[in-house]
Amino acid sequence: MSINRRQLLKTSVMGGASLSFMPSFSHLLAASETGSVDQPHRFIFIRKSNGNLTQQFGLPSFSSHELRKHEEKQAFEVDLAKHDLPEWLRTLDEHKDNMSILHGISMSVSGGGHYSYSGCMGAYKAGRDILSNIKRATVDFELAKLFPSPFEHVEMSLAVPHGRDHRTGIVSGYSAPAAKQRNYCYADPMTAYRELFKSVTNTEEVASDIALFDYLHEQEKRRLRGLSGAERLKISDQVASLQSIRARNSKVESLGDKVKKNLPEIDPIHEGGGEDATLPQKQAAFTDIIIGAMASGLTNVVTYTIDDLGTDITSLPENKQKTSIHQIGHGGQIANAFNMRNAIKFHHMKQVKKLVSQLKAIPERNGTMFDNTTIIYMPETGSGHHGPDTEAPMVIMTGKNSKLDLAGRYIRLPFHGTEGHKTLSNWYTTLLNAYGNPIDHYGDLDLTMQRNRLEQTGAITRFIA
Amino acid sequence: MNNPEVVPDKSTDPTALKAQATRLLSSYCVSCHGPNQPEGGVQLSSLETMRATDRQKLFQQIRDVLHLSQMPPAEAKQPTDAERNILIKWSTTQIVGNAEVTGNAKALAEKLQRFEYGNVVDHEALFSGENAELPGYTTDRRWLISEYIFNEKINHLLDYKSNRTIHGMPQQVRGDSGVHWSPKTERGNKFRRTIANPYLLPATVGVRYIAHKRLNTGHLLTMVGNAKRVAGHMSAEQTMKENYPAMYQLMKPELETREKFRSRKTFLQTFAYMQHLLKQIYGPDNETLLPTLNPKDIPYPGPPQHTTNGIQARHKNLEFLDRFDKEDIQAILQGIATYKRTAYAVEEIKTKSRSDRKGNAVWSPYSKANLAEFDNILLQCERDWTREGVTDYRIQNRIVTMKLFYDTWDMSQLYNHIQKLGYSKPKYVPLSDKEMELITKSIKQHRRAGDTHQQIIDKCFTEWDTSFKTARISKPAADKDLIKQVVIELYQKIYQRQPTELEVIENSKHFNLHAAKLDLQKALGKLIESLLLSTEFAYRTEFGVGKPDEHGRRMMPSRAASYALAYALTDSSPDEQLINAASLDQLRSRQDYEREVRRMLARRDQWYIIDENVQATNLNASTTNLPIRKLRFVREFFGYPKAQEVFKDDSRFGAGRHEQAVSRLIDEADLLVEHILENDQHVFEELLTTDKFFIYHSGDNKAMAEAARQLKLVFKYFSKLDWENWTPDHIEPHREFLMTVWEFQKTRGGDNKALLTTLKRLMPALNLHFSDGQTNGMPYMKMAMGFWHGGNVLGRTGQQMRGEQVSSYWNLNWKTWDYPVHQPAPIANRKGLLTHPAWLIAHSQNLETDPIHRGKWIREKLLAGTIPDVPITVDAVIPPDQHKTLRQRMEHRTADAYCWRCHQSMDPLGFPFESYDDFGRFRTEENLEHPENLLTEARRDVTNESGASLPIYKTRPVDPSGVLRGTGDAALDGNVENAFDLIDRLSASDKVRQSIIRHAFRFFLGRNERISDSRTLMDAEKAYVDSNGSYDELIVSLLTSDSFIYRKSNSKE
Repeated sequence: MSINRRQLLKTSVMGGASLSFMPSFSHLLAASETGSVDQPHRFIFIRKSNGNLTQQFGLPSFSSHELRKHEEKQAFEVDLAKHDLPEWLRTLDEHKDNMSILHGISMSVSGGGHYSYSGCMGAYKAGRDILSNIKRATVDFELAKLFPSPFEHVEMSLAVPHGRDHRTGIVSGYSAPAAKQRNYCYADPMTAYRELFKSVTNTEEVASDIALFDYLHEQEKRRLRGLSGAERLKISDQVASLQSIRARNSKVESLGDKVKKNLPEIDPIHEGGGEDATLPQKQAAFTDIIIGAMASGLTNVVTYTIDDLGTDITSLPENKQKTSIHQIGHGGQIANAFNMRNAIKFHHMKQVKKLVSQLKAIPERNGTMFDNTTIIYMPETGSGHHGPDTEAPMVIMTGKNSKLDLAGRYIRLPFHGTEGHKTLSNWYTTLLNAYGNPIDHYGDLDLTMQRNRLEQTGAITRFIA
Repeated sequence: MNNPEVVPDKSTDPTALKAQATRLLSSYCVSCHGPNQPEGGVQLSSLETMRATDRQKLFQQIRDVLHLSQMPPAEAKQPTDAERNILIKWSTTQIVGNAEVTGNAKALAEKLQRFEYGNVVDHEALFSGENAELPGYTTDRRWLISEYIFNEKINHLLDYKSNRTIHGMPQQVRGDSGVHWSPKTERGNKFRRTIANPYLLPATVGVRYIAHKRLNTGHLLTMVGNAKRVAGHMSAEQTMKENYPAMYQLMKPELETREKFRSRKTFLQTFAYMQHLLKQIYGPDNETLLPTLNPKDIPYPGPPQHTTNGIQARHKNLEFLDRFDKEDIQAILQGIATYKRTAYAVEEIKTKSRSDRKGNAVWSPYSKANLAEFDNILLQCERDWTREGVTDYRIQNRIVTMKLFYDTWDMSQLYNHIQKLGYSKPKYVPLSDKEMELITKSIKQHRRAGDTHQQIIDKCFTEWDTSFKTARISKPAADKDLIKQVVIELYQKIYQRQPTELEVIENSKHFNLHAAKLDLQKALGKLIESLLLSTEFAYRTEFGVGKPDEHGRRMMPSRAASYALAYALTDSSPDEQLINAASLDQLRSRQDYEREVRRMLARRDQWYIIDENVQATNLNASTTNLPIRKLRFVREFFGYPKAQEVFKDDSRFGAGRHEQAVSRLIDEADLLVEHILENDQHVFEELLTTDKFFIYHSGDNKAMAEAARQLKLVFKYFSKLDWENWTPDHIEPHREFLMTVWEFQKTRGGDNKALLTTLKRLMPALNLHFSDGQTNGMPYMKMAMGFWHGGNVLGRTGQQMRGEQVSSYWNLNWKTWDYPVHQPAPIANRKGLLTHPAWLIAHSQNLETDPIHRGKWIREKLLAGTIPDVPITVDAVIPPDQHKTLRQRMEHRTADAYCWRCHQSMDPLGFPFESYDDFGRFRTEENLEHPENLLTEARRDVTNESGASLPIYKTRPVDPSGVLRGTGDAALDGNVENAFDLIDRLSASDKVRQSIIRHAFRFFLGRNERISDSRTLMDAEKAYVDSNGSYDELIVSLLTSDSFIYRKSNSKE
């Protein structure tokens, strides 16, 4: 590894564990820190399953020369303004200036296969979602540290792991606040709504939590009597923790008006886990919640698993054959799997469009909220159902204050294992460097690049504005 | 240094101290750290002129290296202890500000508490006997629970009892936190997995669970979420009913009402009941009140589509029904069963059949009569669903699905399925007269024209809920005694003790505070949360009580002692016998401790999961019935489980999926350790020098032999026959024999054709197994099969044994190896755990070996040595050079005197293991893995002697020579030829034995040893030596030592 040890030690990324703010509690951690950041930048990571087929990310208006390069996976770039978007992406036509189609980033560090769990967010192989495989805080958590907010990081998910585990409520997530720590996530819109906006929708429960912490504080304080030295510290640290929570309680209210103002309206069909809600309805509700949570300042970073292989897509109007994402992945078993992939992406893009246009409609300083927002729509396992993970086409939407310089372009980077290739680790290092974390290299090293003795550490500097 | 405490002496005159220190710096330090090319970039001559912040850092560094005796280096002139103390005092005073001085001194003291600094205590002083008279003790302490104890506590609170079938018997196991232990079967516990473990131990090699850790805000924040979920479970209706009589009693009036509401809901939502009831209430008028049906215009989809063939035959696989929404499928099948009037059959119009692109007639429509009836069923269903108030989307989805079934599925099969499973309309059974009267009254009150059934139900429930809540608010406060019983019940479950009177009063008050604002169940939840978030839940307490002895030491009360003993050997709270002993106050003497320790060590009736991660990766067993912490010490000490965390490339393994294979490797290292611990003779020596190992083995010699015998039998039976040219008919005379063999018993279909296919695939594999004079072949499954088939050999937990590629790490090809069925068995070029591939991989880098860390491990773990922290100025990179071996490149880099000062303690101990590559494969030549050195690309069809397909590179010979220093035994220290030579010398060393005992002390005591523990350590060593190397005797000695038994209060407290 050619990472400088000193640099590593200096950065917080590899250092101490982040605090994992748990549900029903995070709202108590009022935005005492939010004031410390002049202008927060916001990130929305949208994870999707089944890989992104590279051919579906080419542009229909490519010249024959460009098409050949695209097919041969050679590095090149075109201006999106001069091209047509593929059908499934056209709903974002009016936001082309903010769009980048990014090709050529490899995900071999996190791996292909059916699932990558937390791996695709942390640039490591998560194996079978085993705790000990979680190597570090995932990039979304790292970014959240740079732009603190009461909830730090919010994860929501429409995943149905392995197709048999239909989930509602608060369940285990795919991001990681620290090594060997698994995040939680909201598995249905109503739960997300209730938890995120609790400070104004359920004051009774908030009050009972405050009473509980007051009681605990008194109890532990009493234990301190007669203690000194190391044994005293073991209790006094807990008293201090409880105290810090109490101190922050009083600041919760300061966000109240903002939360009320941005409270989304959620259809009652989502009650009880939303069994009767269709997938598009669920997607739309989650989008509303993301916008509400960001606009009210509750969080600056959202990771949203918009689907995984088990997510039920029978309610998509295009799904006449009532097929599944997994079956689509295997392609040959059903007709029009290729088109169904596009249909799924089309529904995803509808939500991206909603995010972009609504954030553009919310004023912020001299511009809009979207100016300070980055949306990354990415596959969790590369460019196919089981991989390959050597490519992972993404769609990125960036506002005008973005510190990334890639908007309005279709970019193809050199292919995996060749000179100049960029890995998921490079991409995440770029995001971190651009937004204030100076880490030399985030994420695992790619073993093929390493074997070929190719340079692979650091940010993609040309992307940093 | 012996005393870890560093207290600045404020009385020292600063001017005099500075003068003394300056003189000492000049004498001992400036020659290397002067202005000209200062060592390590550390320059002491410019202290006055450097930036203040840099100076502060430098003083801290000076103070630490002096205290840890890391400077001056061993070969340089050494200051006396007094001189060293002066330098320490001076450097401490130079760290600005009193608060910071104290803080930094504390930081150093805390650093010295860490296990990685345990060896700082002088080894000679511990074992020479000079300090044997010092009284051993441990200070009174709170000890933060470990990740394992947390898991057990949570399992206890969630009543989560996990089972595994072990050796064919269902056994309750400990150590399960709900992970998917069987990845293919997705077994595990979804709810259990939502509990996040905040007490994770560091992911380091070596003993990890230490007593000085403290709770922090991270723990608290994580526990807040956990507490809510656990409280949710404990206060759930069913749990209360089963486990918490007082809570249930308190909740009873409310629960009875809920039960009543539930039965009303079930009644009203039972298929067709509402329809029946409304007709009963409204008679003919009912029809006029129903919502209007607007039938949806949804077309039939036509024949099933196929990507290449255009269309295909109707689907027949009813398992596909699972893909659809269960509620919708239930409604559809029930609807069909209700309205189907004719026979459960369909008739195809063959004349209208349609062909696929290949010209095969694959699909025909059903008859007109069939279609007409189906349309009628659809209409009736749609009408019912509209009346019921099913959402528009669901109705649409059901109709689409029904039409899809009709056109693309084999309807005769579906009809049969419906008939067989009895989806007909359930018989109407009303509730009690009183209930029916009440329901009828509510319906009459709320129903409006056009209301769906669901709307009527919702209105009724709104009324009932409101009246229930009003009644609850006006009810008197709950009974005081009952609340007291609730508090007692919860203390017993959560803390496993009775609450004091004061605790009862306080908790009752706290509960009432919540009960005044929330409903009872939520208030109970808050009470539970408060107990879970208390420090009492997070800390084990070990405080001495009673009259102190002449050294100020006291024993723990029996209850605390029972926990100390239970947690020494397991992760669980005390077992029944310990609880009894504690309740009878029979843990008050050394003999009492010994009695319980021996009893627990002998227990084999409790099974434990060794490592959930190993288990989950490849259907591995990873279980043991040894007291788990006895085994865990060896695992942590050697650190071989870390092999799973080192990122390796499958293409460099070359024998399939490394991730799966390495998990078996770790599982089998555990098996070997278990085997050695069970024998309990010369345990440490055996761990270091055994030449016998487990490779692709369950630990059950009989089962492995039988599986191998069966395969050999098949080979013998058919090798002389002309099976290669057989047709299915040839199988018949041999069928009876084939059916005695597992692989054939499980052949899908089981007809002669299928059996022949299996035979033709199996025989070439068996040919490799036995054609080269082998006695036995490795009995892995030759035909890939689903997990549900089990296997021809099973692991300890009865699951498939996978990962036969594990043999590749041992330079053995699983296809051709003359497999020893009785294991552990001798394996060439291996000696002890340090040559076990799991240990070698754990101590390797991604692409290379790691002589530095292999050497460091030996220095610290076996030779009780210390290695200074890597100086912050060092950028630890070995420069690449495709023409040299790693050793050559390292020697080039670390030969520099500054580097060598530390590296000489590590590298020469690690180099002998260069005979093994970073996958633990034995080698005499090192591949120069660089594109320039590539001779031949890897080819799938070409495997080497280890069964791996690997590229061929230019090589250079491995130099496995090394140097052993630090055993304190002149006969052992010196140059070593190779790894075997080194291992033999290490295993013969007293210091190595003592070093392992020091680490065992840390593991069982949760702290570093002090000089006053000298007697404990010497006794432990004697117990081990006198018993022919019994690890059990060592444990008994440690857990009955003064250091374990006695507690002494911190003098400042």
